[in-house]
Amino acid sequence: MSRSGVRDGRPDVVVSGLGIVSPYGAGVKSFWSGLAAGACAIKPITVIDTEGFRSRIAAEIPAEVMSTLGSSRRRSRGDRIALAAAREALADAGLEGAARAEAALLIGAVGGGMLEGEEWYWEVARGRPSPRMRALRSILPFSHAETLGWRLGLTGPKETVVMACASGAASIALGADLVRAGVTPTALVGGVDALTHICFMGFNALKLLDPMPCRPFDRDRRGMSIGEAAAFLVIENAEHCRARGGRVHARLAGYGMTTDAHHVTAPHPEGEGMIHAMRQGLDDAGLAAADVGYVNAHGTGTPQNDRAEALALRRVFGEGGVLVSSTKSLVGHTMAAAGSVEAVATILALQHGLLPPTANLEQVDPEMPFDCLPGVARPAEMAAALSNSFGFGGQNVSLIFQRLAQGKPGEAQPQASRAHSREKSP
Amino acid sequence: MSAARRVVVTGIGTVNASTAGGRDALAGALALARSAIGPVRSFDTAAMSSRLAAEVDEATLVSLVDRDAARRLSRICRLALGACLLAVRDADVAGGPGLGIVVGTELGDFTSSRDFAQGFLRRGPGGLSPMIFPNTVMNTMASIAAIAIGAKAPSVTVNQATLAGDLAVVRGARLIADGRAEAVVAGGVDELFHDVYERLAQMGALSPMRGRGPEGCRPFAADHNGPVLGEGATFLVLEEREAARARGARIMAEIAATAWGNVPAAPHTGRAGRVDPGSPVARLIRGRGATGVARCYGAGNGDPAVDDWERALLSRDLGAQDDLLPPVSLAPLFGQHGGLGALRVGAAALDAARGTAAVLVHGIARGGCRTAVVVEPAP
Repeated sequence: MSRSGVRDGRPDVVVSGLGIVSPYGAGVKSFWSGLAAGACAIKPITVIDTEGFRSRIAAEIPAEVMSTLGSSRRRSRGDRIALAAAREALADAGLEGAARAEAALLIGAVGGGMLEGEEWYWEVARGRPSPRMRALRSILPFSHAETLGWRLGLTGPKETVVMACASGAASIALGADLVRAGVTPTALVGGVDALTHICFMGFNALKLLDPMPCRPFDRDRRGMSIGEAAAFLVIENAEHCRARGGRVHARLAGYGMTTDAHHVTAPHPEGEGMIHAMRQGLDDAGLAAADVGYVNAHGTGTPQNDRAEALALRRVFGEGGVLVSSTKSLVGHTMAAAGSVEAVATILALQHGLLPPTANLEQVDPEMPFDCLPGVARPAEMAAALSNSFGFGGQNVSLIFQRLAQGKPGEAQPQASRAHSREKSP
Repeated sequence: MSAARRVVVTGIGTVNASTAGGRDALAGALALARSAIGPVRSFDTAAMSSRLAAEVDEATLVSLVDRDAARRLSRICRLALGACLLAVRDADVAGGPGLGIVVGTELGDFTSSRDFAQGFLRRGPGGLSPMIFPNTVMNTMASIAAIAIGAKAPSVTVNQATLAGDLAVVRGARLIADGRAEAVVAGGVDELFHDVYERLAQMGALSPMRGRGPEGCRPFAADHNGPVLGEGATFLVLEEREAARARGARIMAEIAATAWGNVPAAPHTGRAGRVDPGSPVARLIRGRGATGVARCYGAGNGDPAVDDWERALLSRDLGAQDDLLPPVSLAPLFGQHGGLGALRVGAAALDAARGTAAVLVHGIARGGCRTAVVVEPAP
């Protein structure tokens, strides 16, 4: 970041707040502890009846955590985790009063309150009158934005972005453009998805779920494991952040967003759209591929995705040119939340100088010519990292985060979030 | 809007209950001003408290997409695809890495979600169709259309009540202004679906809202008593002005300004008269000055909460220009659906092309989403 907080005539965008509810629990601290320990949170599903399905596991938010997040009678599961994660991000940023009120709100979402809607539909379809019709009001994805906009008192631009598994990353990217363009100085951006029957059944029907916890980049990988989460970032004009004395986690250096225009469910076999997204992101950030030390891969564990992503990474970074891991092996594929969950993971990795591992990776696929950090987190100081998110519909989003140099006068300093500022890197 | 990259409208494609075609078809339907609302034809409403809608004829839809697409795609995908193809044809714009797409929808493909769930309820896990499942994700319409028109720049789907099409246009214009695309096909789509219609009627969300007065779409009228649903898709082709000029595009109008924001309100409610603490939309409208708007379209659709709230907000923000109130509503012609916002912007572009100085397309939705698009003649 320049001294003025402006590069090429555009304001710099920094990340000043983080918040998450993940299968490890509520809060950034528990999330980072789980990632750093390489703990796989993928377990037998409890919220959905899995009898008769090929895969019966997922990374759920524990019931004891959900019980602390407000009443399920008043709000959908998705709204409850979104509200908790958003509140943590705003508190972490120290964003209050008018500065908070003017923030934009962009939420990546797919499932909305579908879990509760399904319960109603199941009962009605089986001929049992249900008193739960009220749940239908929250069934659509935009319900999260309505709930958060109202409860948090936000008046800036409000959008619900539905870009399948790239939704969370896209909300961050599109929010960054609003900050850069001066539409708003701050934005609360992120994604949310709770487990739903339709998602669980759909990926089972497509035979894209591994009966065992997923094994991204493994030669014997058999698919993904779904999960649920909400993760939010406060992004901000760097000057605005500095002027109000805000803390900075990282710089959102740039992003790339492309569409395959190839197939509704399958990625382009040569990873063309992925390549363009990563290169666009590098151009946008003013970085060379060699400046990026770590990629938090989309890494779902499906044969098709991992093969295409490996090809794309090789084209952009060269064989072995970057360290790669998939945190989906730890917290599952959290769908619309995945891009923002992995953005938080990438920022924390930069801050702590510790890269989260790829769990369950025993025999690396020879088509994946990268060090995929199997099993154990690895200390590594680096200046920049990239987070990939891809989705049905050929959606490709690559986010690039930069650690800010310590000690440079006039620049915001990298700091741990308030919630975990005393934490030691394991 | 960025001063460096200005955005113009170069094409329209619409498939609605009145007409299907490009800019001329929309202009014709607007000039005719004949309401397409009538008794629902596609399902039985005898046991329901609401019975009206504006439906797209299946024959119209069949003529817009090829037989293979018609066989493979759900109805809402065909609506979106048909309108996108018409828009691209109207603008004569080519696909490629500079072309993006933004689709706004309120309800998405509920038909496919219902069919997918029914498969399970009838036959268990073996009854689940892997072919239907992708349609349950709202971005499938954008995905299908992106493949057909070769859009490789960002493909974004936005989900919003009442203002889905407005938001899509706003987001599309931003993608161009921010340099993320050279051209964007932006608009909205929704379909009429039995289960949703029946539930909304049960919940009193449709005219006549549990029996108060005769059923009908009467925005801003004293006896308004709820919206009447429509269906269809309307997409605009937005382009960076210099690029459009360079290729000799038929420029209709300029998107001179956009704003969108949130007026905090409890979910699903419309609080008429609630104070908007100075959202971006309020600032934009007030900034236009006392005579900065020549015509105003609104999102009022007969829902008393939305109508009254919109009138109150505009009355405050337009100041002396109260001759623009109530704003012009197109809901009585086409019915309320996700494409209506883009259709309003298309109507404003047609006005601007005929010389109307500045047209404000305003929207407010239950839950507080508020939008504004200012359309002016292209310089």
